[in-house]
Amino acid sequence: MQVVIAEDLALLRDGLSRLLRDNGFDVVAAVSDGDALIHAVSRERPDIAIVDIRLPPSFRDEGVRAALELRQRSPETAILVVSQYVELTYATELLSDGQGGVGYLLKDRIMDVADFVDAVRRVAEGGTALDPEVVAQLFSRQRAGPLEELTPRELEVLGLMAEGRSNAAIADQLVLTVGAVEKHIANILMKLRLPPSDTDHRRVLAVLAYLQGREDD
Amino acid sequence: MARLLRPFVSGETYRAFAYYLATVVLGCVALCLLIAGWTITLVLAITPLVVPLLIGLRLGVGALAGAEGGLARELIGVNVRPPMESRATGFWARGFAALKDPAFWKQQAHLLLGWLIAIVALAPFSLGIQMLTIPLYYSSVDGLDMFGRSDIDTLGEALAFVPVGLALVVAGVYLLGLWRKLSRGLARSLLASEGERIVRPPAETRARRLRALTITSLISTAIVAVLIVIWDLTGGGYFWPIWPLLGLSLLVGIPGWIILVLERREIARFTLGSQALAIQIGISAVLFGFLVAIWAITTHGYFWPIWPGLCLALLAVGHAAVIYGQRQHRIERLEASRAGAVDVQETELRRIERDLHDGAQARLVALGMSLGRAEQALESDPEAVRELLAEARQGAGEALEELRDLARGIRPPILTDRGLEPALAALTARTPLPVTLSVDVAERPPAAVETAAYFTVAEALANAIKHAKAGHVDIRIESQNGTLVAEIVDDGAGGADPAGRGLTGLRQRAEALDGTLRVTSPEGGPTTVRAVLPCRS
Repeated sequence: MQVVIAEDLALLRDGLSRLLRDNGFDVVAAVSDGDALIHAVSRERPDIAIVDIRLPPSFRDEGVRAALELRQRSPETAILVVSQYVELTYATELLSDGQGGVGYLLKDRIMDVADFVDAVRRVAEGGTALDPEVVAQLFSRQRAGPLEELTPRELEVLGLMAEGRSNAAIADQLVLTVGAVEKHIANILMKLRLPPSDTDHRRVLAVLAYLQGREDD
Repeated sequence: MARLLRPFVSGETYRAFAYYLATVVLGCVALCLLIAGWTITLVLAITPLVVPLLIGLRLGVGALAGAEGGLARELIGVNVRPPMESRATGFWARGFAALKDPAFWKQQAHLLLGWLIAIVALAPFSLGIQMLTIPLYYSSVDGLDMFGRSDIDTLGEALAFVPVGLALVVAGVYLLGLWRKLSRGLARSLLASEGERIVRPPAETRARRLRALTITSLISTAIVAVLIVIWDLTGGGYFWPIWPLLGLSLLVGIPGWIILVLERREIARFTLGSQALAIQIGISAVLFGFLVAIWAITTHGYFWPIWPGLCLALLAVGHAAVIYGQRQHRIERLEASRAGAVDVQETELRRIERDLHDGAQARLVALGMSLGRAEQALESDPEAVRELLAEARQGAGEALEELRDLARGIRPPILTDRGLEPALAALTARTPLPVTLSVDVAERPPAAVETAAYFTVAEALANAIKHAKAGHVDIRIESQNGTLVAEIVDDGAGGADPAGRGLTGLRQRAEALDGTLRVTSPEGGPTTVRAVLPCRS
């Protein structure tokens, strides 16, 4: 699995490269700014790009902007944005095309190597991985529209879906049977009035509706 | 040719003429009001009656200034709306609010100066029309004495005045444009409600002003020369050209002084740093000189110019006192806010230091210890190593979390990245309350202002949730004349203590930026927090 890394701090860039190589990834390029990232991705066509948010020259949200540009230019490359902080706004922007293959994690999560590697694989295969922090931010706010109709348990399940967990993992975490989780998910998709299509895509749409706090139409 | 004729066909000229006619009348009323009002007020100054008198005087001046503002808007195209009242609550406060209100003094200055300008502007017309009409009535008056010529009793003698009268009217029409500009400036600086400041004009306007002044001087000199020649040709005698000479010297003297003050800023150093005061004193001096000259030419008797002179001097002293008071007030405020700013910074730094010391630093020490113990246990107890490493990782995670919270408390990343609106949108999205957010800001304000506005909203929101138990919060951010206004209104229980720690910190933060923070929170609500932050960098 081929990876491109964009991170301006050499310490973290090298550490991340080493960590990924140790876990069987092929790091084809490690760059330090947004332009170089776009260049490297269009040259290498990797499976996934791992991007830091704060990049030169202005150290603001270059990473998010570069990621959104990559979604347009090379939709076949999945994107995992990593940062020292998470913002709901950025998560919503990154997922807004409803296509999946997007992740947004705190850099802290890299320390749990097994989980992190898992998340990288999942995103590269078209899934999503939202940081539990994002989900926590979602929980505190006012809900409007169809989200209001969800039961607390269904919200919990939706939160774990947003983090990118599989049905089995969700069942494990909430001490439920996989069958019960599947029933919950079916209810959520119905209440959010998502059109029938393949389940993976609907899951992404459900998460997006959750992020935006309303039905996506 | 068309350019030369323009003043005669342009509506502007006629409107300006009407403006001066109306101002002469209003000025007479104003003069009566001011003389009578101030005399009574000063006499009764030590009785409580002074308060209603001051309020009445303020209302009278406000009404007259309002009328002059209306005339200026309609006839000379200056958009000014003079405030009619000085607001305050309480008996004595209401009376003294007028004295402390710069608008009150400015309006009085405008009533008097506007009146004088109107008289000077209309003088050529009045003289000119008199001269033009001599042929109509010289025969019905025996031994008509006019303009130093005695016994005008033939048509020839009477007709000699016609060209001079015509020239005066024509000159009056041309000069009307210049007077109009002066009156516009006067109205703008004395009647506008926020007291638009006089700023150094850009090079182009300056060049134009200087050119206008030069042309005025040349024309004036030419007119005087022509008049002297006429005087000489008509046989000398009483030196009547002294009158237009005096009028024209005002015309050159006043704009000349204004331009000089605007060009040479160091002049204002002698007048408490205020160009407006320098201009006022200069104009007063020129007017006083004018009146003394009239006195000297006419009577040499009772020195009547002492009274208008005293009025002008009193006005100047009043103006100076207002400026001095404002400056003193501003200095006190700056001193207080600087002390507050240092306090805020000091408290913030201490908090950050303590958070680092007790939080992240302690966690890193613990992490180092776990790693050290893991190193020791490497040979003997591989199972313990696993546990210690997991512990170390958890410690690192917690340290990161604390550092992140700390950074967010200094300046939220999304505020740096995207600015005020997205940052507030993100903040309100996390709020478990219905919030209406409206942000109307043209360009990004300076970072310090953004941060202060952000934390004002954050603190007010937190209070609304925690203390006021509000059901809805309304947030409005607007930029208004170079300031950023943040207003947060909640429908909660009210009763917030403006001297509480959070609100005091916010107030000091606002004052450090030369802004203000006001909290109104009656028992039972609603609570309004309003920060006004200047955006000048």
